[in-house]
Amino acid sequence: MSGLTFTLKYRPDQRVDMSPLVYQKLAKLEPAEIASLTLQNGKRKSRVDELFGISGSDATNMVIKNSFGKLDFIGRELEGGSIKIEGDAGAYLGLGMKSGAIKVSGNADIFAGCEMKNGCLEIAGDAGDFLGAALPGNKMGMKGGTILVKGNAGERAGDHMRRGNILIEGNAGDYCGSRMTAGTIAVMGQTGQYLGFAMRRGTLLLWNPPALSASFNDCGAHTLSFLPILFASFKKLNSRFAAASAAFNRVQRYAGDMSEMGRGEVLVKITHPGF
Amino acid sequence: MLIKLTGGTVYDPASGIDGQQQDIYIQDGRIVNKPVEDIQVDREYDLKGKTVMAGAIDMHTHIGGGKVNIARTLMPEGHRADPVARTHSTRSGCGHATPSTFVTGYRYAEMGYTTGFEPAVLPTNARQAHMEMADIPILDKGGYIMLGSDDYLLRMMAAKKDQKAINDYVAWTIHAAKGIGVKVVNAGGISAFKFNQRRLDLDEQNSHYGVTPRAILKTLATAVKELGIAHPLHVHGCNLGVPGNMNTTLDTIQGIGGLPLHLTHIQFHSYGTEGDFKFSSGAAQIAETINKNKNITVDVGQIMFGQTVTASGDSMIQFINHKHASPNKWVTMDIECDAGCGIVPFKYKDQNFVNALQWAIGLETFLLVDDPWRISLTTDHPNGAPFTSYPHLIRLLMDRSFRNEVLSTIHPEAQKMTTLASINREYSLQEIAIMTRAGAARLIGLKDRGGLGSGNWGDVTVYTDNADRQLMFEKPAYVFKDGELVVKDGKIVHTKWGTTHVVKPDFDVSVEKDLRKYFDRFLTMKLDNFKISDDEITEDGRGSLTVHPTKGEAV
Repeated sequence: MSGLTFTLKYRPDQRVDMSPLVYQKLAKLEPAEIASLTLQNGKRKSRVDELFGISGSDATNMVIKNSFGKLDFIGRELEGGSIKIEGDAGAYLGLGMKSGAIKVSGNADIFAGCEMKNGCLEIAGDAGDFLGAALPGNKMGMKGGTILVKGNAGERAGDHMRRGNILIEGNAGDYCGSRMTAGTIAVMGQTGQYLGFAMRRGTLLLWNPPALSASFNDCGAHTLSFLPILFASFKKLNSRFAAASAAFNRVQRYAGDMSEMGRGEVLVKITHPGF
Repeated sequence: MLIKLTGGTVYDPASGIDGQQQDIYIQDGRIVNKPVEDIQVDREYDLKGKTVMAGAIDMHTHIGGGKVNIARTLMPEGHRADPVARTHSTRSGCGHATPSTFVTGYRYAEMGYTTGFEPAVLPTNARQAHMEMADIPILDKGGYIMLGSDDYLLRMMAAKKDQKAINDYVAWTIHAAKGIGVKVVNAGGISAFKFNQRRLDLDEQNSHYGVTPRAILKTLATAVKELGIAHPLHVHGCNLGVPGNMNTTLDTIQGIGGLPLHLTHIQFHSYGTEGDFKFSSGAAQIAETINKNKNITVDVGQIMFGQTVTASGDSMIQFINHKHASPNKWVTMDIECDAGCGIVPFKYKDQNFVNALQWAIGLETFLLVDDPWRISLTTDHPNGAPFTSYPHLIRLLMDRSFRNEVLSTIHPEAQKMTTLASINREYSLQEIAIMTRAGAARLIGLKDRGGLGSGNWGDVTVYTDNADRQLMFEKPAYVFKDGELVVKDGKIVHTKWGTTHVVKPDFDVSVEKDLRKYFDRFLTMKLDNFKISDDEITEDGRGSLTVHPTKGEAV
């Protein structure tokens, strides 16, 4: 049985709300029923088969082909199954997803993995602002699972994050880890201004020295035995984070944000241990 | 245009009609007597078997002003969960505890309400409040001007200025801010909070001005009376929500010396300290005192179980309440040194002892106050519950077995602490009509609303009789606003714009001399910009002003 595949026929001018097309809503539907579902398209409603060619029937392995940046809410509250997106994804990719896996071959727009509960979200390109964050006004962002970004992430990655891992192979924008309650964000590239702004707890793991605010205190160099365990948990990922050469256990530790609870930490890789 | 409403069963307490079958005629927006035979009826509605009342009036509902917008900003999840799509006659918006302006108007009208009063119009923010209410369709609106913690009044009182000077200031402010009454919130307490006082009892002095809440209440109640404003001083008392505050409330009533006083959301001010949890109902004693003191009117501020957001000018109390914020986020702020504002989201739970007892205390109050003309039906929207819970509340009041059924599901300790089960009273349709129409109109001094007699505006709500009063009041068959059909079968079919009700009491214009100096020295805007002109309400072509007479003026 081949994966249920939606091939976008043309690029609509208005944004499309893709939230009906998730495993838990499609698993028990016949192909004809799926074709007749309606999607909010700007202020209009469009049938699925008006926008997409549909083939295959296995909803556990969904594929969206020719995807582009105006397809919003892909994998919203996804419970089980996997979604492979060929192209870019719009805003709110994997909003509140509960389990399963989403892979994007291109970029994702703002609020990817927003308020995600569990599962795995992999973005091969760049992610927009508010990766793994909370919806505006809400107090809890990502609560579990793993987000892997192979490119760069925008601003406010992990805003209000509560639990889980955000792994960024490229750079992160300003306010990375802002208002974090807990969880882990690892950034291999550069980070921007206001790193960990108002973070309460949680860990920011960095490969490069950040520009830290005055409200973070230097706690000296440490050899942390939990780091090898953390890196071991990345082994199964299709990522540079999985490489043995990526792992380290010697870090400079900074505590903050002291203008908040101050129990968060920024761990920066010490490149020359003897220095 | 002549409309005839034929054969409905009419409940119109304003003209003493209690459930009589009667025809009603509306000509060009106003209700008229039966015209002479040869005038042709343009539109006839057959209302046989239906219940006809005037459009309902909510005399205390937070529907405009800065705090409502802060509450909206603080609680976007409520809006996200309740989107409202546009239709051919209505605009889109969003709902729940603090709906968008348009949805506020639609949902009120869909329940048969045609008028609502914003009870906390801060003079400094009055322009914004009126502009916001100008965007509420269908409803008539008005506002009570909030005084009592404003620096200018407290300075005047500290300097022992005479009552006449204070009357002039109050009247000038009502003109400037376009109000229909005067509200006082935790008299002097909002100011005291900023001088680091965390509680302020009735006879405790504000540490900066040396003025007590009792003196402020007396001064403002006297001003309102002497200016001839129909609506008594609208009082949000001291110690809101504090166990034992019933004594403060009783003391407030006894100490006012017979001056007219409206005690708002009385439920939140009727708490004792008995029992294992040191929290008990004071409703019986409060109701008895209200029954005896004819100068006192109240509205209840009933709570309902569920998610809402509390929005109040009482920053002192809201600061204390922030510990109970659910979800955990809140705002308390000063506004231009003249008042405050506190927004705290609340989730009232039936299995929480305090919440369950609050619910029972509100209902006890409704049922133990004898005179429906002196008690108004409110939830202090959105503080006790969103206004959309009114039909449910009406059923609780009209249906004893339903009430006891709900009572049996709340926190068991709260059930033991309330006498609700032993109260047999059930409100009649006429009493509901008094509370939500005629009584509210009389209380605010609306001269031609809240009744169905000839000369009144054609605000009419028609219900389909149903033993389940919630269903009946949720979905009126027809609602007319100023003689235009706006709702059919509980859905908006047409929208229009309501008027803004105000009073314009006389004052000595020389009051501006000192005020101008004060504005120039201390405030962020000039006196002439502070004053809202009539044009600002009317110039967009849809707003209008209705000036109600003060006592002593010819009607």
